[in-house]
Amino acid sequence: MNFIKRKTWQISENEVTSKELFDNRRTFLKLGAASLVASGSIIEALAKDQLPVQNLKFIKDNNPNNLVLNTYEQITSHNNFYEFTTNQSRVKDLAYTLNTNNWKIEVDGLIEKPVTLDFDDLVKKFALEERIYRFRCVEGWSMVVPWIGFELSKLIKYLKPLSSAKYIRFETLYDDDMFPDQARTVFGAIDYPYVEGLRIDEAMNELVIMAVGLYGSSMPKQNGAPIRLIVPWKYGFKSIKSIAKISFTNEQPLNTWQKENPKEYGFYANVNPKVDHPRWSQAKERVLGKFLKQNTLMFNGYEKEVAYLYKGMDLRKEF
Amino acid sequence: MKSIIFILFSLPLFITLYELFILENINDPIKYIYTVSGATATVILFFTISISMIKKRVNLIKYRKMIGLFGFFYAFLHLLNFIVLDAEINFAFILKESFEKPFIYLGMIAFFILLFMAFTSTQQLFKKYNKYHKFIYLALILITIHFVMAQKSLSIIQFGYIVIILFLGYCKLLQQIIKKNKI
Repeated sequence: MNFIKRKTWQISENEVTSKELFDNRRTFLKLGAASLVASGSIIEALAKDQLPVQNLKFIKDNNPNNLVLNTYEQITSHNNFYEFTTNQSRVKDLAYTLNTNNWKIEVDGLIEKPVTLDFDDLVKKFALEERIYRFRCVEGWSMVVPWIGFELSKLIKYLKPLSSAKYIRFETLYDDDMFPDQARTVFGAIDYPYVEGLRIDEAMNELVIMAVGLYGSSMPKQNGAPIRLIVPWKYGFKSIKSIAKISFTNEQPLNTWQKENPKEYGFYANVNPKVDHPRWSQAKERVLGKFLKQNTLMFNGYEKEVAYLYKGMDLRKEF
Repeated sequence: MKSIIFILFSLPLFITLYELFILENINDPIKYIYTVSGATATVILFFTISISMIKKRVNLIKYRKMIGLFGFFYAFLHLLNFIVLDAEINFAFILKESFEKPFIYLGMIAFFILLFMAFTSTQQLFKKYNKYHKFIYLALILITIHFVMAQKSLSIIQFGYIVIILFLGYCKLLQQIIKKNKI
């Protein structure tokens, strides 16, 4: 028997910090801090120094469908925000002109009493939740985003629209000092302000959120700061950015893209692999950062939760 | 001179490859390849019809074939992107799309015109078929329509491109009138 006697000053092997961990001790500390506020995927990105400071408190989404998140970098550097430019990768460089201080949201139409909401007060009224959703653009690209926000249904209940209100209409801010393309008037890419809408029963679905952030921190300007809509089963253009006005109406709002090109963009804009866009197929999608495409799911994978809304409708006609 | 043109006209390809595989900073690679190859092909092909208009100042006539073939090469990359990456070599799908969607078949017709021109650009065949090379104008018209259709809405820069294209077309028309009437 040959025992190796340990010297009294030697610590046992299992107490030694591994070299890898020691070399990454700063990251390790950050991980500790992050684990208090964030979910696994976020910790990973945070460790790589790729995320802004987490400044929102929210209920975590445990990601039961195990969706693979796109990186913060991808989500914030590929944006359709025509108020700045039609060039998707340039939006993030131009978006600094959007000033979100003292942001107000005007609410009018079929409502007990019209109000002007102050964004900072509004956010305090509702518990924030993380929602990890697929996001599918009508152009054929897609991503998975960990949004932070609150259910639109809660806001609607709080606003108390009249029973005659059948639709909810949203408007993006109109301010040509902030948005260069709005200043181009007739040479602008589209008509401003940008308008979107939902049927009230769609809006009340629990999947629909008013998003105020992503990856645990406030909404980046290029992604529609300070507050935007997220309707995960519809093409991205329905999820209107930088909302400055909400109206309750009894007629279907004419949304911007339908107005621009009614043959190609409809009011409903439900993600549907079986209904092609006139210029391209919608059966597959390009996940950001990938060369290979993947199949697009009916209602973007939320069929169970939303199919009831469209019973008896011809989704080819009501596209 | 030949090598200068060669390097210059290969640049878009190498810049694209560098961005895609070295920098890896492209979010939507398939769309990016479409944009770069399409725009490069369009610019080069419009340049080829301008060569005869500027020959009094800069004579590039003897390089016109080479430049035209570069235009064809980028158009071929554009089509390859559609077949391989976008349609994933599903020929049934490619045929269906090509017959169904005007946006696709306009591009396809333009490509087949370019293919015919590239094929008949050898000295021997060119003698026989050069009169058919006038089809380049049809191809350019189709390419322009295809380019406009590809946009969700025209930005001010793209609007500028259209103006340049129309201006080139106008110059070309004048050139033909002058030639015909030997003014």
